[in-house]
Amino acid sequence: MNYAMSLDYQSCIDCKACEVACKEENGVQLGADKQRIWVTQIEKSIFGQPFVALHPSQCNHCLDAPCVDVCPTGSSYFAEGGIVMTDKDLCILCKGCMEACPYDARFVDDTHVAVDKCSFCYETRLVHGEVTTACQATCPTKVRLLGDIDDEESDLVKMLKERKFYVLKEEEKTVPKLFYLLPEHDDYYAMNSVDPSTTIYTWDTFKPIVEKAKAKRKPQWKKIIL
Amino acid sequence: MKVEISRRKFLQGSVALSVLGGSLASVPTLWAKEKPSSNNNIVATLCEMCVNKCAAFAYVENGIVKKLNPNPLFPKSKNMLCARGDAGIHALYDPDRLKYPMIRIGEKGSGEFKRATWDEAYEAILHGTDKFQGLKQILDEEENNRSTIGFCAGEGMGEHTYKQFMGDLLGSKNFINHSSICLQTTIAGYTLTLGAYGTTDLENANYVIMAGANRAEAILTPDTMDMFKRTRGRGLKLIVLDPRYTNTAIHADKWLGIKVGTDLAFVLALTYVVIKEVLYNKDFVEKNVDHFETYKKHILENNYTPEWAEKITGVDAHEITKIARDFMANAPRSVYYQGRRTAWSKQDFQLRRAQAIFTALGGGIDVKGGIVFGKKLYLHSHTVEAPRYTTNKRRIDRKEASIVGKNGTWIGFRNMIVEDRTPYPVRAFFSYKQNPMQSVPNVAKTKTMLEKMDLVVTIDTMPSDTVMMSDVILPECTYFEREDPVKSFGGTQPAIVLRNKVIDPMYETKAVFDILKGLSEKISRPMFDIAVKYDEHIQEEIEDSSEEDVYEDDGYNFNLAYESTQEEINEEIITSTYGEEAYETLKEKGVFYPNMDKYFKKITENEYQYYPEDKKYYTTPGGEKIDVQDTCIDEKAIAALKKNLGTRSGRVECYLSSMIRKKVDPMPVWRDELYSEAPKGMFKFITGRDAKHTQNSTTNNIMLLDVMKENYLWINKAQADEKGISYGDWVSVKSSIGEVQIKAYPTIKIIPDVVFYVHGFGSESTGLTFGYRNGASDNLIIEDTVETVFGSAAMHETVVDVRKV
Repeated sequence: MNYAMSLDYQSCIDCKACEVACKEENGVQLGADKQRIWVTQIEKSIFGQPFVALHPSQCNHCLDAPCVDVCPTGSSYFAEGGIVMTDKDLCILCKGCMEACPYDARFVDDTHVAVDKCSFCYETRLVHGEVTTACQATCPTKVRLLGDIDDEESDLVKMLKERKFYVLKEEEKTVPKLFYLLPEHDDYYAMNSVDPSTTIYTWDTFKPIVEKAKAKRKPQWKKIIL
Repeated sequence: MKVEISRRKFLQGSVALSVLGGSLASVPTLWAKEKPSSNNNIVATLCEMCVNKCAAFAYVENGIVKKLNPNPLFPKSKNMLCARGDAGIHALYDPDRLKYPMIRIGEKGSGEFKRATWDEAYEAILHGTDKFQGLKQILDEEENNRSTIGFCAGEGMGEHTYKQFMGDLLGSKNFINHSSICLQTTIAGYTLTLGAYGTTDLENANYVIMAGANRAEAILTPDTMDMFKRTRGRGLKLIVLDPRYTNTAIHADKWLGIKVGTDLAFVLALTYVVIKEVLYNKDFVEKNVDHFETYKKHILENNYTPEWAEKITGVDAHEITKIARDFMANAPRSVYYQGRRTAWSKQDFQLRRAQAIFTALGGGIDVKGGIVFGKKLYLHSHTVEAPRYTTNKRRIDRKEASIVGKNGTWIGFRNMIVEDRTPYPVRAFFSYKQNPMQSVPNVAKTKTMLEKMDLVVTIDTMPSDTVMMSDVILPECTYFEREDPVKSFGGTQPAIVLRNKVIDPMYETKAVFDILKGLSEKISRPMFDIAVKYDEHIQEEIEDSSEEDVYEDDGYNFNLAYESTQEEINEEIITSTYGEEAYETLKEKGVFYPNMDKYFKKITENEYQYYPEDKKYYTTPGGEKIDVQDTCIDEKAIAALKKNLGTRSGRVECYLSSMIRKKVDPMPVWRDELYSEAPKGMFKFITGRDAKHTQNSTTNNIMLLDVMKENYLWINKAQADEKGISYGDWVSVKSSIGEVQIKAYPTIKIIPDVVFYVHGFGSESTGLTFGYRNGASDNLIIEDTVETVFGSAAMHETVVDVRKV
């Protein structure tokens, strides 16, 4: 099992349902500096006309995550299912992982006195066999889809075989697993919401990258103890 | 990290929001009641954070509601919960909630109340105190004219129960609700033209014009979420007209920054093009549109050309022509979206009529992809016997507009009282679940009205600005703490839904049903005694039998309406039509429709089928039928079948002769005298909503304030630069009736000469810890202009001055 998520971000309307559902589900503190997930709004002016791109995002559960390597206590670890987890008891708040993460996905949870981030709702859903996340379930336009990319029959892999996609900051080589589905019928939105230097992938071209990183890191995948 | 025992204890006791992983946090006992009704449970409920009633499951652990998740079974709510729905738990556990009845002991509006028992509160309503008068004295002095008691309600599942008590049992004719500050004019415009308001079939429409309706942000409605999965070239072409580049405009194929209040000119010009170039569905028009030739002549003779409209609207004439042509090319799957909001301008009734007629010209009425009427599953209603009074006078505002219906005109009603020109005194006012001190334009006048009342009683969950003006406050419990009347929702995929009780009422709060039951016990007989004194009809009836018999048999004993509980009433209504199994399903799953077990299917985690395609109700019975399975048939031909619409003629009404004697134009016409631009250097003020808050009712909700803390003034960037205003600067916004201060948000997303901020902020209630003086109130500065057909508030006719402070 290797959990990943696709985001059909062209359907996003920036209603913040996902942000609220996440905080409710996972007991995240209030505050804009305490977000497991977020929606970024990028405003531009194109020939005087306003343009807005919306990018929902969260921890990418990178297959080759730098936040794990940098952690001195093992608090940040690779877990079964390809999830990057945090063991709060072991965290000493050195914040090395927060520095190492290219996606700014981590923050300090004052109530646990530890670093926190998105866990793909493992503790509340995956552990019970429910393959969804709170953010996916609440979304009015169903932007997100969690799935197992080891399972060729899963809805997620079917989606990735149908749609082209890209990942964020691939130059960091962390092999992230948030797949942003390219808008296929709206070139204008596609061109203006994606950096021109970004590689556009298909499942055929990205799968080898996943396999390679998985081969490297899977031996380090630990069982999750809550 | 591992922390010392003492520190962990401190952390556990503080913010009870944090759920430690899947385990339980200890909850401060001051929030929990002694005996929770359910220990660990999943209860099917319906959200009440706005009007949509989305189906949700509430997860309860040790009697504490921990999480709300979407319930996928309800076709209307489409397996989602918006930010407000997710944050409902903070309405339940808001420390500022009204917890027990209160009676005013200080000056009205001072916020000085004393805690009371329910009995004391009911006593005070009946007999008054040294600070205010009671119903007994008021009705005695007014000779039993029950209409001296005005009453208002906001939308909610308890509204009907409240209306039955105040209107049918108590007998007042002076009911006002939110319609006249909401979509009364829109609904009337469509109903009079097409027979019903209908629903735009956004699952199947191919071309949609949305003017002003901000579906991505305004009362985030699940019914319209299908649209956002089909924009960006995926099947639905969206044209948005709005002075602002809203989150809906983000999804548009074309956004046109139309000038405020000019939509009617735009629609008339579209109609002109379609008529001139003969682009309308001729068969449909011939069979289903009344007085088309009259309307055609009217449009052409008035020269409502795109060039004419361009001068008024600021929208390019070529764009108007193109849109008209594209609309008809995509018809019948083309809709000019009805709109869901209050009137913006004085000409809004004609605007909505013009929109309806325009859509009809394409044939998109009562067919897939157009405006559909659907079907509603039958449920018999719970009636109470209404007693007869001859002393109750007619509603005071019946002449304040050309047509005043049962829901009245808020501004008309209020202004009559404020200006001392009511035909008889209105001396008491009951408000349920409404906050007119923030929701009705011209706050100062609403304050005056409430100050004039000898008795003000409010029923609410939170200490709103209106609650602070009360004499007696009756605390209602939230939607989590009660079972509400079962409801049937119509449409292409109709269903029946039930709100089940999740936990028992907290503190001393009660459902409105039980509040009115308790009030009946106190006042029913005293009310009858006053009626006997003054009502000749009752005196005659008593002569023929006895006082006791008349009281019991003729509906004057209010207690008879509350003999069964809400749960018993629901069970009877459901089982009598659909049987026991349907009732069990509703108790457990909250949703029921016939054949649900066969029809409902999970396709993927994100996609569900509610009704198979061939079982959805796209067309209404009574019209011509054709076998729509034949895919060779032209959709335009299907659309052109003879309909049986709900209008008097059974056809689309272009010309309403009944309007003439009410001095209303029988056909949509543009009147220059009803429109004006803002003077140079000033701005038109417009208001609207946000997806993260519900009007003025969530501005104390800490979770929603977390995603949107306050409102900002949207001002065109170039004009802000001219005035030296930068992002975050404090500015003063001043109209002829009021002034606010608010932070500025200069942006290119609003056209010049218009400013905007979100409705609902700027509360003056000291009872709201986070809502108090957070942001600015729109109705403090919005003038009380009305559109004169129905007396609805025309909220975009106010001109303001903006300057940096």
